[in-house]
Amino acid sequence: MTSLHGTAEMDDRDLIACAQQGDRQAFTELVCRHQTAVVGVIYRMCGDVQQAEDAAQEAFVRVWQNLNSYKPQHAFRSWLYRIAVNAALDALRREHPSTDLDSLSLAAPETGPERSVEEDQRAAQVRRAVAHLSTPLRLVLILREYQELSYQEIAETLDIPTGTVMSRLNTARSQLRQELLVLMEEA
Amino acid sequence: MTSHVLEWLAAYHDGELTPNRQRQVEEHLQGCPACRAELDAIDGLSSLLKADSAPHLTPPQRFAAQVALQLPRSSPPQARRNADPLPRWALSAPLILIVAWAFFQSALWLTSFILTADWIVGQRAMLFGGWLASESLLETIGDLQLFNIILLIGTTALWATWMAFWWTWKQNLESYTKGGVI
Repeated sequence: MTSLHGTAEMDDRDLIACAQQGDRQAFTELVCRHQTAVVGVIYRMCGDVQQAEDAAQEAFVRVWQNLNSYKPQHAFRSWLYRIAVNAALDALRREHPSTDLDSLSLAAPETGPERSVEEDQRAAQVRRAVAHLSTPLRLVLILREYQELSYQEIAETLDIPTGTVMSRLNTARSQLRQELLVLMEEA
Repeated sequence: MTSHVLEWLAAYHDGELTPNRQRQVEEHLQGCPACRAELDAIDGLSSLLKADSAPHLTPPQRFAAQVALQLPRSSPPQARRNADPLPRWALSAPLILIVAWAFFQSALWLTSFILTADWIVGQRAMLFGGWLASESLLETIGDLQLFNIILLIGTTALWATWMAFWWTWKQNLESYTKGGVI
């Protein structure tokens, strides 16, 4: 994205500093850069692309509104993911107010022309298994496996100790391995 | 099983081990089929999860434009600008005063102890001569006590102020870590 301000060449730190001064162009560049990550984490939580994009837009509005509470000594990515995670949880509660988040199943996958029916079924099975995890386990797993955050970043994002990240990740993986045993053997 | 490295395999897979531990795990894996099989299982699960590719999203510029439409007209609020951490001198100044107070307090206690011991034994002249029990020394101690009280009150006030600053600063940090935007 090219702009009059040359925001495309700026790093995140500079963009944040400009956005904190009210530079909307800089903020737009930040949104472009982090859209995939933010929508991605929300999508993995709720399983619906449209719902994920709507929640991600709300998350970015919150980012703008609270940009001055962000401190450069903290990782922007962790701060952003925290907002994204909360937006995802809010979206889930709004869509399913009477449903326990832990028992929520993800929506059916969208079938694309490039994927076979078998692949879609396998993906659906994986999503169901992930959806059966409790919310704390699911969050840690998503942030590690799909967003590839380090243990430290996950700990900062969820405000939990690194040891808790490791134990939750181990538990999540153990549960998934039990549930996806057949798929894993086939693979 | 104690010689196995099962507990480190997940962190090894995630690249989270220290270089030393990583080397230990690698060496162990070379000669342990059981741990290699466990690592393969972790790798397999990871591959299975990642095989579910990300969905097609709205193009970034269009998405950003949609976000821009929802932004309030005002700039980001400036309320947190005052939440900067305290300067270092502000943190250490009360500590220095407390150390000074402790020093004076100790000196006074020591002097009182010596005087008491001196009075009990009744050997003032033998121990320290007439100087120790002189009027001028007792007056000096009285002045020091007054100074001590003033110093104590001042230090307490400074300490309370420092605690108030520290609490405010901590609250601001917590509002970040607790996701003040939630």
